[in-house]
Amino acid sequence: MNHGTSSTRREFLKTATGATATGIFAAPYIITSKALGDDTTPPASDRIVMGGIGIGNQGGGDQGAFLGRGDVQYVAVCDVRKKWRDGAKDRVNGHNKNSDCAAYNDFRELLARDDIDAVHIATPDHWHAIMVIEACRAGKDVYCQKPETLTLREGPLMIAAARRYSRIVSGGSQRVREDFNNLVGPCWNGELGAIKSVNVRDFGPLSQLCNLPAQETPADIDWEMWLGPAPWQPYNSGRCDGNFGTGGGSWRSYVDYSGGSLTDWGAHLFGGATFASDVCELQPTAAVFHKADGQLGAYVTLTYPNGLEIHHRRPDQLKPEGPQIDGGKIQIHGDGVKRDPKPAPSYKGGGGIHGDFIHCVKTREKPFRDIQLGVNTMAALHLLTIAYRLQRTVKWDAATQQFPGDEEAGRMIDRARRQPWFLS
Amino acid sequence: MADDAAKLDAACEAFKTYNWGTDKNALQPIDEAIVSTYGDATARSALEARLIAVLESDVSRDAKDYVCRALAVIGSIASVPSLSALLTKEEFSHMARFALERIPAGQAADALRTALATVSGDLKVGVLSSLGNRGDAASVTQITAALGDADPKVAAAAAAALGSIHTPEAAKALATAKPVAAAMPVVIDSRLACAEAFLAQGKMEDARAIYMLLAGESNPKLIRLAATRGIQTCLEQKR
Repeated sequence: MNHGTSSTRREFLKTATGATATGIFAAPYIITSKALGDDTTPPASDRIVMGGIGIGNQGGGDQGAFLGRGDVQYVAVCDVRKKWRDGAKDRVNGHNKNSDCAAYNDFRELLARDDIDAVHIATPDHWHAIMVIEACRAGKDVYCQKPETLTLREGPLMIAAARRYSRIVSGGSQRVREDFNNLVGPCWNGELGAIKSVNVRDFGPLSQLCNLPAQETPADIDWEMWLGPAPWQPYNSGRCDGNFGTGGGSWRSYVDYSGGSLTDWGAHLFGGATFASDVCELQPTAAVFHKADGQLGAYVTLTYPNGLEIHHRRPDQLKPEGPQIDGGKIQIHGDGVKRDPKPAPSYKGGGGIHGDFIHCVKTREKPFRDIQLGVNTMAALHLLTIAYRLQRTVKWDAATQQFPGDEEAGRMIDRARRQPWFLS
Repeated sequence: MADDAAKLDAACEAFKTYNWGTDKNALQPIDEAIVSTYGDATARSALEARLIAVLESDVSRDAKDYVCRALAVIGSIASVPSLSALLTKEEFSHMARFALERIPAGQAADALRTALATVSGDLKVGVLSSLGNRGDAASVTQITAALGDADPKVAAAAAAALGSIHTPEAAKALATAKPVAAAMPVVIDSRLACAEAFLAQGKMEDARAIYMLLAGESNPKLIRLAATRGIQTCLEQKR
């Protein structure tokens, strides 16, 4: 079921099993029971053939979710670390009870396979845009972990590739729908009235420059490929460790690979905040920087075209009066004037966000976390980041994807990639 | 203010011994000065001059890397000569582009174009991508020449750059390109990108012309699908 190739898997298997098969199918042809399917497993022609790129901590979780589905045929893994790659392959083979899983160091080899319908990507953030775009160009549907982008410029290019080739591209924040149900209900059922402001409490540092000392590069990592488009720097285990830390000692801490906790946890929290307050189809018009003032710490306010304000770490002393829901990390204030309820979007198909993706691969509907929505959340987070780094307000034009009249902020829309990698 | 000046002096001195594994906090006053000099052209020029002096001195790769990151934010025409000199050097070329790609001055594009004539292989890929990322229409003729490079990475980078620039001249160059086979998918992708740009500009006929050619039977199904959707969009927008 590789949409866009000259023959579909269904068409192929129909020919192979037909009573009047001729040519290469005239000789006895054994169809395994697995290919035909059974009570729990659809026939091969109805299974989505998948591969995974970046099978570390988070990628392993995604692999498990897809591998466990009867409507997915998992056939290939890719990771630049041999230990992860071999472990991921063994897991697939163990599940499939064969030794057929292919293992690649170079993602382009996996994407070149005509039999693969879809891929999931969980590499460090600096690789996401290039891989998503290449995957779309290769005719694959994509499930890409959050944070979907490292820079503002990447988002529109990823969306363009998805739309150009009619690909299903889903972002990977399961928490947007699953962690904030206590907020979604009162907001979407109209109980809170019109949402006036949201506050997302502090959740950790911006990414920082990595200046760790050089260590001997282990034999089991392709360091050039791990770095990819990021600036060359010497190997250090703390630079590339995949633990979820953002205070140092993990790639999530470092500016060349990630936006730090602000984008890593921000993708969940701001994804949840913008979903609950129904602005996830919009991008902010400004990130307003409030300097520290006496006891009040610095904070940033994102302003939206509909008048909504989403604050990041607004001091409690500035909390407005009026109806609110306090969800811990996220507080939402409304005007209390009851409105008509709206049905809140949710996953299609069963099995959480992974099931939503697979359902949409089959039906070609837009997934819950369509890439546009992921990009909108990331745009908000990149604006926050730029405001914090420059320590001033920046204004954003979502239509042109520019900072009008602000050359300095404009320089931070993107960054040059290390040759031979480039965005297209 | 005298305190800030002393801290900045110390930071510039720290560059001499800065390297991977040394204390990056020693350079923190540079980052603070970038923020504090916003809106003060004189102070910013002075800071830039100090950074250029570091770039031209015998400091570590890591130190030059740091300077290039700073010049990406505050660099001006003044930085271009020092950065250009690094474009042809393998260990510095990327970070020189890191700054040059972001400096709006036309002289930054000139420097990239000059380098394009002298570099090859991966360095050429990098320079092409930076010209494309700048949307540098004046580079189209030079970039077009690179479409015919025997190195598929160079040819692909040239195609991608033309797709990013997406002027009528760039689209024309892509339409007649006959690159090495491995670069062809990027050429086609860039032609589609040009068509989309023309659609966004209201140039329906120019977009449709591209889509009609790509909808032909000789193209892979995925491309025909993209082109057919493009033709449909042109028709819908015409109504």
